Amino acid sequence: MMLGSERGVVEEWLSEFKTLPETQISSYAGSLHLKKALVPALYRVIQDPNNELLEPVCHQLFELYRSSDERLRRFTLQFLPELVWVYLRATATRDRHSNGCIEALLLGIYNLEIVDKEGNSKLLSFTIPSLSKPSIYHEPSSLGSIALTEGALSHHDLIRVVYSGLHPQRETFTAQNRFEVLAFLMLCYNSAVVYMPCSSYQSVCRMSSRLCVCGFPRQRQKLWREPCGRVVLDPEFMVQMLTAVYHAIYNGEWDLGKEALDDILYRAQLELYSQPLLVANAMKSSLPATAPDGSRGRKILQVEVTPTISRISRSAVTAASIRRHRWKREDADGVSGGEESFTLNDPDEGFSSGASNSSQPSGTKLSGEGGATRSSSLKKGVTGWLSRERDKEPGQTRHRDSSADSQVVLRRHQRRPSPPPAITLDAIELSPVRKHLSYPASQALVRTASASSSRSFDCTDMSLNGGRRGAAGAGLEVGLLGSTQAGLSASVAHHFSTSSLQEERLARPGEAQDLLSPGAPLTKQSRSPSFNMQIISQV
Amino acid sequence: MTARKSGSRLETEIERCRSEGQWDKIPELVRQLSAKLISNDDLGELLLGEAKLLQYLKENPIKPGASPRGARPKLVEVRKHLTAALDRGNLKPDHQQEAQLLMAKLCYVEGDYQEAIGQYSQVTLDDMQLVGAPVYRLSMIAEAHATKGLCLEKLPSASSSISSHGPDRDQEIITCYEKSGDIALLYLQEMEKVALSAGMQNRSPKPGPVTQEQELGYFLETGLQRAHVIHFKNGNLTRGVGRFREILRAVETRTTQNLRMTIARQLAEILLRGMCEQSYWSPLEDPPQQSPLNDSLRQGPLARDYSLSRRPRVYSGENLFCPQENTEEALLLLLISESMANRDAVLSRIPEHNNDRLISLQSASVVYDLLTIALGRRGQYEMLSECLERAMKFAFEEFHLWYQFALSLMAAGKSARAVKVLKECIRLKPDDPTIPLLAVKLCIGSLHWLEEGERFAKMVVDMGEKASEFRAKGYLAIGLVYSLRATDASLRGMQEEYQKKALGAFQRWVGSVPAVQLLGVTIPEALGYVRQALQLQGDDVHSLHLLALLLSAQKHYHDALNIVEMALSEYPENFIDSGRGSSLLDRAVADRRQLNTMTLPDFSDPETGSVHATSMAASRVEQALSEAASSLQSSAPKQGPLHPWMTLAQIWLHAAEVYISMSKPAEATACTQEAANLFPMSHNVLFMKGQVAELRGSVDEARRWYEEALAISPTHVKTMQRLGLILHQLQRYSLAEKILRDAVQVNSTAHDVWNSLGEVLQAQGNDDAATECFLTALELEASSPIMPFTIIPRAL
Repeated sequence: MMLGSERGVVEEWLSEFKTLPETQISSYAGSLHLKKALVPALYRVIQDPNNELLEPVCHQLFELYRSSDERLRRFTLQFLPELVWVYLRATATRDRHSNGCIEALLLGIYNLEIVDKEGNSKLLSFTIPSLSKPSIYHEPSSLGSIALTEGALSHHDLIRVVYSGLHPQRETFTAQNRFEVLAFLMLCYNSAVVYMPCSSYQSVCRMSSRLCVCGFPRQRQKLWREPCGRVVLDPEFMVQMLTAVYHAIYNGEWDLGKEALDDILYRAQLELYSQPLLVANAMKSSLPATAPDGSRGRKILQVEVTPTISRISRSAVTAASIRRHRWKREDADGVSGGEESFTLNDPDEGFSSGASNSSQPSGTKLSGEGGATRSSSLKKGVTGWLSRERDKEPGQTRHRDSSADSQVVLRRHQRRPSPPPAITLDAIELSPVRKHLSYPASQALVRTASASSSRSFDCTDMSLNGGRRGAAGAGLEVGLLGSTQAGLSASVAHHFSTSSLQEERLARPGEAQDLLSPGAPLTKQSRSPSFNMQIISQV
Repeated sequence: MTARKSGSRLETEIERCRSEGQWDKIPELVRQLSAKLISNDDLGELLLGEAKLLQYLKENPIKPGASPRGARPKLVEVRKHLTAALDRGNLKPDHQQEAQLLMAKLCYVEGDYQEAIGQYSQVTLDDMQLVGAPVYRLSMIAEAHATKGLCLEKLPSASSSISSHGPDRDQEIITCYEKSGDIALLYLQEMEKVALSAGMQNRSPKPGPVTQEQELGYFLETGLQRAHVIHFKNGNLTRGVGRFREILRAVETRTTQNLRMTIARQLAEILLRGMCEQSYWSPLEDPPQQSPLNDSLRQGPLARDYSLSRRPRVYSGENLFCPQENTEEALLLLLISESMANRDAVLSRIPEHNNDRLISLQSASVVYDLLTIALGRRGQYEMLSECLERAMKFAFEEFHLWYQFALSLMAAGKSARAVKVLKECIRLKPDDPTIPLLAVKLCIGSLHWLEEGERFAKMVVDMGEKASEFRAKGYLAIGLVYSLRATDASLRGMQEEYQKKALGAFQRWVGSVPAVQLLGVTIPEALGYVRQALQLQGDDVHSLHLLALLLSAQKHYHDALNIVEMALSEYPENFIDSGRGSSLLDRAVADRRQLNTMTLPDFSDPETGSVHATSMAASRVEQALSEAASSLQSSAPKQGPLHPWMTLAQIWLHAAEVYISMSKPAEATACTQEAANLFPMSHNVLFMKGQVAELRGSVDEARRWYEEALAISPTHVKTMQRLGLILHQLQRYSLAEKILRDAVQVNSTAHDVWNSLGEVLQAQGNDDAATECFLTALELEASSPIMPFTIIPRAL
């Protein structure tokens, strides 16, 4: 029951606003939050369906919502979760017409919110960003070809999506339109959620827990008793509840919010609703394991200091390590991009440091305009890789043994502005004469595994000139994938490896064999398109 | 032995070594330098001091939070060099400043913050030229700002030589870090430029030492990150978000990639957890003056209040996408973060890399969870499923990623794939009853994979007690599967077997969910169940519908009509709502039939009553029709989803039916024609044409239409029944008998078919068999609803 003092506070509030002259609305709106006792008293009124103040309170809340002052509108909005709960509780207890004024208030807010200031139907839309378009935070070329997955290509342009709109005016609630209205109201609440006071966050958590649990076995575990049957819920409405609860969790209501999240998850499982399940799982799994200190009533939006050094050890094979190889090759070659006719879809490819791409001299600028991005990544895909010389591998370091370079006569068939002197294994092809020869087994021919992929590229065969071949014999002098260890250890100045494997491992007998034998445990990797580009020996 | 280098070349070499941090080469270079120019001794001291200090820091990196080190023998040497360099005062101004900065840094390392501040006060850091400065100096200035900030934080404000206190002092510290961060970004950008051009000139395969990720060191890292950490600690979200955005807008370098990935994710978190549409401001706008985002007690300035002579390059160009909305920005950041996380996906599965794999999985998981939250609240499940598909490279044996992928496919309506992915989820987590139930839901839905559905449902039932609350749902699921299989079965024996199984399952599932299925349940029993279901969920449309059908089966038409009216008031737009297109129409038809039947007792004059009732029904159907038509913009037929068009065609057919019952062949023909325009090959349309022809008395034409309808749909019972009757009229008894027997085979509960069959048999003189048929028809009619119960959707 309400205390007399609470009653007084509410009655005073009711009469005060009625007599308020237009000119004082603004100062009234500014001082409303100072009436500390008012909000709890209003909650009392709303919670009690038999309170005779309920009707005037609903009426006045609607008047505030109609006013032009945003603060007054938000004052009403803070009670929305409580109103929704009281309304839905009544629908479940068949007591449905006892709270007509709450229904009217909810419908009133709804009907105000679905139109803009000019009275046109409101369309809420947003743009789905696309990494293939430059933004203030990135440049497409720097993100590898991730932006060019099938999905991204299918909406290459930014698309604008209407996520809510064209809602019709509603005069009454019916079972059919109920959740359309309520989900939209929650959307409005969520779009102003940071302006809500803590009491409103508590209310939204309470509402969510109760709506989801009432009438189900879990209710027995709760401390509260609510004589209420099951309330039908709708998946979209549940997603909106989740959004509000998520905000509450991080803005002062850690415990209540977490409980509400669990309850929504429980109900979503029982109902087999995929959408709230999906979102609630994601929220739960990204939650910090324990409550941060002093979380109660405080924002816990924390940021941590991150070391700029990658925590992933450099020896691990990652999409990036693959990129690094390609990248080095390009740096070394000073290749130009864009002319290649072959295409390669490489959706798995991660991030390449395009920062440097972008700052490279124009000759090496790989992309940036139009479809160039695509071909640049393709080219990278086709590019062979020279094993990275490491300090760990003394004696094989390339620049110390530049004489070896001259032994390798390789040429790219594309025009290149300035063929670097030290080309090694880069989208290599034989000189045109050789190109059309069939490949005798004894030749060191290499082709990429992805020749079978639908993309056509014709220049992936390579050969070394005779001198080299003679030296190592049997065409195995190039330490390519599939070549034998003998080939690797041959006294060839270079060894080549594919990007997909760590070169260090290649140098170890036995292991390399394992990794390299075609069709052996590459299964996991070979699923990833970037491994289309593995070079395997024909031999 | 290296050849002596000429003066300028030597200087360049020194600069390069300083930029690249090759401190071990400095002593040799200094030796050469001092051999050249006497006056450069001081510079030599400076360089040696610097080299030794930085070498020391490289070997003994400062850990955040570590206590001051105090004097060390090596540092004593450093101090000697620097003091020597400073004492004589012969240094060029630039070098003088450098020496002072180094001295201040030394003081910091030794823990003498007061002295360090003193040193900084002698150098005006802000006056140090950024334009045209060599890269090493950029780094030095950036570090100096950061170090100054660190000193200020360490010193209690009273003992500080700086007069400011409280918020001003906080502000001063933050400004130090922000300047440091900005200059650090500039330094890294310049560094990369230099390294690249060097790489290009040399044509060396090694583009320079920076190819390796460069370690930033304690001071630069602090400078880059401490400012926003303080902002958020102080509850100043506006500034924190602003700082994040500044860092992210700077063109990235290889060294900042990791930082950017983290910051992009953190900013997305802030946007999703701490902001909303109404509190949002775009990155290119000024922040709002008043915002609930900020702790009101510690109000500082909302934007940066310093300027630098040179700032890091930012992304620029025409048509740059700039987010205008909360979720938009969060999504953009997450997509960037995602592509970077993907870069770090550890692909090898060897045990040594377990830890790396875990790290890469965790950082990617967080990003995918945030993407789910952002896209979920906007209902973009299609795009989400594409994103989560990219996560699958991390997903080997990772239940969470598989499950989320499955759910996103389900939410995006890609049912077949969802079931396949759910199978993997079941393998990874065989104890979770939700997963097979989700699979059943999909299987008995649009996929209609009943056998698979049965297997999944059995999994849940077999879990026994473990499935707890889901066990009942498992029985419901299996019951539904059986019930659907019963409908599909063509043999009566099979049907009955499945119905029995279904009933058994339903009885174990004690009615708690409304969509009560009651094939084979006696009508009064079923009424009890439905009433119970309605107690639980007062306005479930299917329960109401079912109740109406049950009442009509008991011939309580008036009650049934009331129920229908009630359902219609709760679901006025039912026919437009997806998936329930036909319910309203069924109901409208139900109305008509009920009214027809009802009018007899209710109205004294049966003729007028009937006409009144049917015209009421007709007007209702036409109302539905016009609403549907207007919502479809009938100018462009056959475009868009098929479903509304089917609904429209059905409405036309129902209208035709109403006109037929009112004996208005012209109107009925027109309605049928409208339906035929939409679906000319529909057996329903052909059937209706036949009925119209019958009404007109052209029996041969009717027969032709019915035969065409059967050619398209050979098991359409209503057509078979009408055709049987016509053949009966034409006195082709044996053919009529054959067709009606076929019809009974298809649907053994169609009482009017039994009745027609009885008539045909009677006409053939087979009275015994005819009696049997009539009795069966009578028996069936007693429990027959006006529409088959199977029109009620059976779904989980």
